[in-house]
Amino acid sequence: MALMHLSFYSAFILSSLGLAFHRTHLISALLCLESMMLSMYIALSIWPIENQSTSFTLMPVLMLTFSACEASAGLAMLVASTRTHGSDHLHNLNLLQC
Amino acid sequence: MAYFMLFLGLSFVLGSLAVASNPSPYYGVVGLVVGSVVGCGWLVSLGVSFVSLVLFMVYLGGMLVVFVYSVSLAADPFPEAWGDWRVVGYGMGLVVVVVVGVVVGGFVEWWKVGAVTVDGGGMFAVRLDFSGVAVFYSWGVGMFLVAGWGLLLALFVVLELVRGLSRGAIRAV
Repeated sequence: MALMHLSFYSAFILSSLGLAFHRTHLISALLCLESMMLSMYIALSIWPIENQSTSFTLMPVLMLTFSACEASAGLAMLVASTRTHGSDHLHNLNLLQC
Repeated sequence: MAYFMLFLGLSFVLGSLAVASNPSPYYGVVGLVVGSVVGCGWLVSLGVSFVSLVLFMVYLGGMLVVFVYSVSLAADPFPEAWGDWRVVGYGMGLVVVVVVGVVVGGFVEWWKVGAVTVDGGGMFAVRLDFSGVAVFYSWGVGMFLVAGWGLLLALFVVLELVRGLSRGAIRAV
């Protein structure tokens, strides 16, 4: 694999592993999601550069728009969780626990 | 210049590792800020300065600022920084996973850097990314309207999620 592709590829893998192995805080998981979005933005930006095609430059900007919507929804859930449970600790979200 | 690109690529991975090792959120945001600054430098080195500035202003100046404000909801009495043994263990484990993945995947033509710039195509009045994003307003106007509508809906979604009282969606009592 080309070295620069390995860079954002491994950044995406690391962030998704950080999301899977989250520990205490909900906002740490949201930060890992944001890191995944950042690596995807870089990857989508490099695509039109390598293919020298202009119209694909639209893709990263559009992805950033929808990522902003997702981040706002995630932060709203964080605020709701803090107002309900007093903190954003993930072990408080145990309604589905058997 | 190739070494500078490699340094930026390595810093990008290290910033992502700083977030993924799950320290206290005060320190995780630092990794995200470093990663986005280095990513912007990476895009500027490749010649597309407009998407780099969009990343800076929207992502770093908009979304990450809001994240930093929201981190105040996640207060620890003893925050774990990157020197804490739990965070170091996580970081080392993640590095081992990435190294194993690269070794098992095989070093196929690893000596090639894989970076092409947009500066070698000749002299143009408008760069590649400026003319590309301008398509957003001409041929891509449908997606423009969909994205604007989605952002407007996100406002109402946030309003309903944090409404609370007796009609809220997430309540324990």
